[in-house]
This record gives sequence, C-alpha cells and structure tokens, in this order.
Amino acid sequence: MSLKIGVEIDHDLCTGHGRCYDLAPSVFTDDERGYGQVLISIVGPELTGEARTAAGACPERAILLKRLAADES
Amino acid sequence: MASENPESDVAPVGMLDPSMASCPHAGYGQLREFKQGVSRMPLVNVPMITRYEDVMWALRHTEIFSSEMSEELALGNERPMIPQQIDPPAQARYRRLLDPLFSRRRSLQLEPDVRRQANVLIDKFIDNGECEFNRSFAIPLPGSVFLNLFGLPFEDLELFLEMKDGIIRPHAKTQDHEEMVKVRKHAGQSLIEYFEKELDSREGKTPSDDLLDAFRSFEIDGEKLSRNDILDICYLILIAGLDTVTATLGCDIAFLAANPAHRNRIVEDPELIPAAIEELFRWETPVAVVPRKLKQDVTVGGVEMKKGEMVTLLLGAANLDDRQFSHADEVDFGRERNRHIAFGGGPHRCLGSHLARMEMRVAMEEWHRRIPNYQIKEGETPTYSTGIREVQYLPLVWSGTR
Repeated sequence: MSLKIGVEIDHDLCTGHGRCYDLAPSVFTDDERGYGQVLISIVGPELTGEARTAAGACPERAILLKRLAADES
Repeated sequence: MASENPESDVAPVGMLDPSMASCPHAGYGQLREFKQGVSRMPLVNVPMITRYEDVMWALRHTEIFSSEMSEELALGNERPMIPQQIDPPAQARYRRLLDPLFSRRRSLQLEPDVRRQANVLIDKFIDNGECEFNRSFAIPLPGSVFLNLFGLPFEDLELFLEMKDGIIRPHAKTQDHEEMVKVRKHAGQSLIEYFEKELDSREGKTPSDDLLDAFRSFEIDGEKLSRNDILDICYLILIAGLDTVTATLGCDIAFLAANPAHRNRIVEDPELIPAAIEELFRWETPVAVVPRKLKQDVTVGGVEMKKGEMVTLLLGAANLDDRQFSHADEVDFGRERNRHIAFGGGPHRCLGSHLARMEMRVAMEEWHRRIPNYQIKEGETPTYSTGIREVQYLPLVWSGTR
C-alpha cells in the first residue's frame, strides 16, 4: 500500500515567505500577494519528499502534513 | 529574580565591538548561551533576545513587541514609514495593497532587466582583473533596480545614494550626535522633497506601470491614499531596499572569495545557487538586528522587561541556534529544513523578500558565469560595518573570465 499525505497551509500562520512554492512547485503555488496556496492537497509517494522539504523550510511552520490512512485517500 | 540584580544580566559581548561586524558567529554563540539567551547590552542596558524560538515568538507578538514609530525608531522621518512602522491590524491594510507589487510573480517580470544591468556593470570592470566590489557592483545594482521600479532616471542614482547614506549612516559624516541628527533630518527632507516634486509632475498624466503610479492608484475603503501615505511608503522602500541587497551581495561574495570549495560547487553546478543563497542568508544574516519597543511588561529567558523599553532581536544569532538548526555552525549548501529568519517573520516579514531573492539569484548567476575564479586581493582585508553588516571595502582580483 502506498503512503499518501494530506497537505494544508494554515493561513493564519502564513506570512508569505514563499518557501513552499519555491521548493515544492508541484505541490504549492503562489497567489497574487506572493502567499502560498496548496495545489495538490493529497500527495502520493512521488511528491511526499517535496512536500516535506517545503514544510521543513517554512519559518512560520504554517504547513501541516498529515499521514492519511489508505481509506481516507 | 534576575531583574533585582541587573548587573547579572549584562551581556558578555557588545554588539558594537568591531569583531561583531566582520565575524559575529562566536559572539552570537556567547550571547545565545549566556544564561537563557537574553542579556542586556553593556552601558545602554537594552535587552537582546538571541534564541530562535524566542526571537520568532517576539516577531509574531506585535502587540507586545511593537514596530510602531517612536522617537527611538525614527530614521530622519517625521511620520511612520509605511508599512514597517505601523503595527497590525492597521498595517495589514497597507500590506494587502503592497504585497502584490512585491510578489514573486512581479519580481520575476523584472528578472531580464536585472540580468542586463548586472552584465552592463560587469562589462565595465571585467577586463581590469580587479574591482572594489561594493562600489563597482553591490551598490549600483540594487540602486538601478530601485530606480527602474519607480520609473526614475538612472542619472539620479548618485543623488539617491547620498540621501540614503545620510539617513542610514549619518555617523560616516560626523561623530557629533547633534550633527548626526541634523544630517539625517536633512537627508530625510531632501528625499521627501524629491518625491513631492516627482508626484507633482505626474498630476494629470496617464499612469504608467511603475510603483509610484501604482501607489497613486491605491485605495483604502474607497479613498485614495493621501500624499503623505505615498511619501511614507517611498521613504521605507528607499531605506529598506538599497542597503540590504548591497549588504547581502557583499557578505556572500566575501564568503565565497574566502571559501573556494564552496564557490566551486556553485560554479560547477549553478542550479545550486538558490540553495546556496538561502544558506548564506542564514550564515551571514546581513540585517542582523531588529529593534522593537515594548507595549507591555514581558519576561523572556528569565529577564524582566518593562513597557516602554527598547528591545533588540538578534536575527543573526537566532539563525545560528543549534536548537533549531542541525550542524548550525557549518555552511552547508545542501541543508534541509532551513527555516532561517533573515527576512524576519510574523506580520512584518520583509516586504521585499521576493524581489531580494530574485536580485541575489540573478547577480550570483551572472557573476559566477563570467567571473568564476576570484579572491580577495593579497594583503587586503575587507571591512564590515555594524548594524546592517555591509562589506564596505571588498577588493577582489580574478583570472580566467568569460
């Protein structure tokens, strides 16, 4: 069974550093203000590395990753 | 208990020691590991917060750690600089207008111009085999980006640099405190007068797509921004946009000149440049200190501080905190989880961060493509300034250009 991860941005914490869409452009994009937006809210194994890199680089810790059980995806 | 014996909170090193400018890493470590990472500057008694978690917490809590303009935070300006010297929630209304103008998307549109300008500068000195980096490259590049953004003539660069230096570095002109205040005030007034004249000349004309015309079109609650609001935004962008990129270029190139193994990695693999820039933001943190004024009593790291006190947040020390960063005292271009706060954090996160990152990337790409093999001129020592860590004198020599 392949691992899937749920991806969210806590917009109360995000202040627009833009690290997520710079480092993980397949998972996040930028909005008009330069704030991050989630492109793919459930990522499969091919993108979990990218999603984790982005979450690890966010100074505001605004990116929430959640391991999903197989039936949730 | 610490506050009953303030002597015991006195910092082991002063931020104004010359060693803190050129090589602050050891000093940051001493301050971070002193008691619980909060100490008071010798003589002036201003508390310094140095650990990553504490600095981040302070940056987020603007209701305690205020960035609002006060006498201590004025830089020759008579009204608050917008949006930096206004706290949320009022600040957010300006950020909503300004953020799109400084987004990554907008910054990327400027990339071809920045690349062209970088090469125009390099063309001027590349055949000499040497240059003084600050004067030849690090100062004029961000200056030209600024003038381009504002739709102002390139011939005014010298004038802008003089006004900017009068405001940021009046101590370069005089040692006398009262004189310094005068130099700063005069430079601030010249800047306001310059923009007043420019705005007057645009009355009734068709707006262009530059920043100044964008500010003129801004509305809050259906009302156009006042002339003063526009001037106060211009003031901030000049103060914040020129010195910071100049300082970062100098710090990074000085590091790479002295560390050829690191330099060779990005010369051989230019795709590594964005990660290298981020790591050097962390390592060098050119905007090393951020001042705040307390709106409430607060205790951080066992040090009690009172409402009305000035406080200093040491971004530079926080960025080297091994509680946050693994192998924090090594420069690692492959670093993962680089949550550095060289652009601050919380609601006042640097408005120009996306523009600055683009300028840095393009400058580093073009410099290393054309001048891959450079070093500090033999017998010379770069000199750094305190406050914003600018390498004010950086003589370079090179061979094997392209």
